[in-house]
Amino acid sequence: MSSIIDRPAATRGGVLGWLQVQLPKIVLAPTCVITIVFVYGFILWTTYLSFSRSRMFPNLGWAGTKPHENLWANPVWYKALENLAILGTLYIGIATVLGLFLATLLDQRIRQEGFIRTIYLYPMALSFIVTGTVWKWMLNPGLGIEKLMHDFGWTGFQFDWIVNSDMAIYTVVMAGVWQSSGFVMAMFLAGLRAVDDEIIKAASIDGASLPRIYVRIIFPMMRPIFLSSFVVLGHLAIKSFDLVIALTGGGPGFATELPATFMYKQTFTRNNIAVGSASAVMMLVTVAAIMVPYLYSELRAQKGVQR
Amino acid sequence: MASLEVENVVKRFGPVEALKGINLSADDGEFLVLVGPSGCGKSTLLNMIAGLDSITEGRIIIDGQVVNDVHPKDRDMAMVFQSYALYPNMTVERNISFGMEMRKVPKPERDKAVMEVAKLLQIEGLLKRRPGQLSGGQRQRVAMGRALVRNPKIFLFDEPLSNLDAKLRVEMRTEIKKLHQRLGTTIVYVTHDQIEAMTLATRIAVMQNGELHQFGAPQEIYDRPANTFVAGFMGSPPMNLIPARIGKNGAGVNAEIATADERTLRLQLNGQAASLENRVNSEVLVGLRPEAITDPESRDAGAIIQEVECLVEVTEPTGPDMLAVLRLGGIEAVSRMRSSSRVRPGERAKFAVNMSKAVLFDPETEQRI
Repeated sequence: MSSIIDRPAATRGGVLGWLQVQLPKIVLAPTCVITIVFVYGFILWTTYLSFSRSRMFPNLGWAGTKPHENLWANPVWYKALENLAILGTLYIGIATVLGLFLATLLDQRIRQEGFIRTIYLYPMALSFIVTGTVWKWMLNPGLGIEKLMHDFGWTGFQFDWIVNSDMAIYTVVMAGVWQSSGFVMAMFLAGLRAVDDEIIKAASIDGASLPRIYVRIIFPMMRPIFLSSFVVLGHLAIKSFDLVIALTGGGPGFATELPATFMYKQTFTRNNIAVGSASAVMMLVTVAAIMVPYLYSELRAQKGVQR
Repeated sequence: MASLEVENVVKRFGPVEALKGINLSADDGEFLVLVGPSGCGKSTLLNMIAGLDSITEGRIIIDGQVVNDVHPKDRDMAMVFQSYALYPNMTVERNISFGMEMRKVPKPERDKAVMEVAKLLQIEGLLKRRPGQLSGGQRQRVAMGRALVRNPKIFLFDEPLSNLDAKLRVEMRTEIKKLHQRLGTTIVYVTHDQIEAMTLATRIAVMQNGELHQFGAPQEIYDRPANTFVAGFMGSPPMNLIPARIGKNGAGVNAEIATADERTLRLQLNGQAASLENRVNSEVLVGLRPEAITDPESRDAGAIIQEVECLVEVTEPTGPDMLAVLRLGGIEAVSRMRSSSRVRPGERAKFAVNMSKAVLFDPETEQRI
């Protein structure tokens, strides 16, 4: 009698019943194993290599902290860090401000909003390689904007940042901002749309002008979106590799070298796997420094909701 | 403190006419309630009074001055919203003082005003908190505080109680009424709850589909609804609208109502005999409030009472009294009796009908006769 109210999975014996219980675990197992081996396993492997005597091939011989010392004695690494600082600050800053600005304008219930929104969002659909290549052509003094201006008759026009070793890093910023600000805009637009209309009405009855309403009330309400866009853009900046490779190849000289391109070159073209690994570990630490507090605050917020 | 006039106000959204020529007025210190089902245009009208929506046609006049093109911030009004619309990034204190800050009131003065309002609304302990940390009732108080602190000419309330639970709603309703008695400021209040309208208002405007059906004092609207919509919307349970035929006999004009057991009830309509002469033998709707059909023991003294016998279909005890459902003229009519009444479903019982409270409607035009 008791079996009638039991769940079928529990009563049906044999292979089928066992399968019903175990199926979710079986399906999830491969992805789980793959993630553990290829993400966490290789993090450990790379970390070990950064303390080894590896050169062209992995070498398990222990070298202590020698590769790390070599890394921090390399002027190119310092240049890469400096570039990362410039890129990170300007890329995150400009993309956020521009994205917020565009979203604010789009939020004014304009005509053809869907169409315009798509235009701004499309760059995100391109890979960084395509973005880099297109911008390389546009910025090339002999092909792009400078030539166009010369052809129009403005022969004094000069725009050669991409071949100028002091300015080349800013071209990376330009291409990156072009690619990402539309995405940031979409995030902010979603946030702005979630703002209760009545708050804006209340503020305008309170006597605040529209710019003031935005600055004093609505932008502060966007705090979580500022945080998310910082995290998204931040990790894009730290791991940016393809954009630089396509746009400048790290040049002229090593003027636009970034940690990621430095790591690649040390590991695969300079036969210096140990130093490459050391730089990779440094990048991991940097990303973790951004992600861990973010995840911590997110998880804590979720807990708050559940409670 | 101010008077308010709304003259022939029309609002169109493209081809849709949301308000079809509304005329209202409120004297200084009045509590005007706009009531109607959702989508009737009452909130639109309130937004137009506040200056948040443009006026397609007509005029809005405050203290004798046309304010059609005056910016909301210069109209000297304060508004309490349904969602409270508190600024989530500011503390309660900043929320309340934001309007003064925008008007460049010096800080010491602001602080003093905030403290006064906080004391009035008993939210002194909440001043340093953010809206997210408050309960619904507390937010409601803060929203009222934000309006009160400005000491405006007119208060506007947009369904301020509809997000509160039933008990708190009754409490806050009393609070708002007390506040109005104390401050004496003109209030325009939007609600879909007819009980709120009845209890708070000095004048009620009943709206539906962008039209104003009736504008008058609560008791007048309750006793003499202008049409069947107002009769059905105001009051709970609503007014019984019983189909009847006007007849004439030796005693004068009467309303003939068919009962469930195929008899005819004759209710004498002597009070309105003259105006009904030309309607003899035509159909009407007799409007009777549930409390106008009672058990004979609890009939009103001094009213024109007529006793009838009727079959009770269902009884619904509510606690303070008992509702008995009768079938009159083919509809279910509700009567309100004392809770100790001994009527039983399926039995015949005597009822006292208060004919001085009866109103008649034309079934075609749905207007009161």
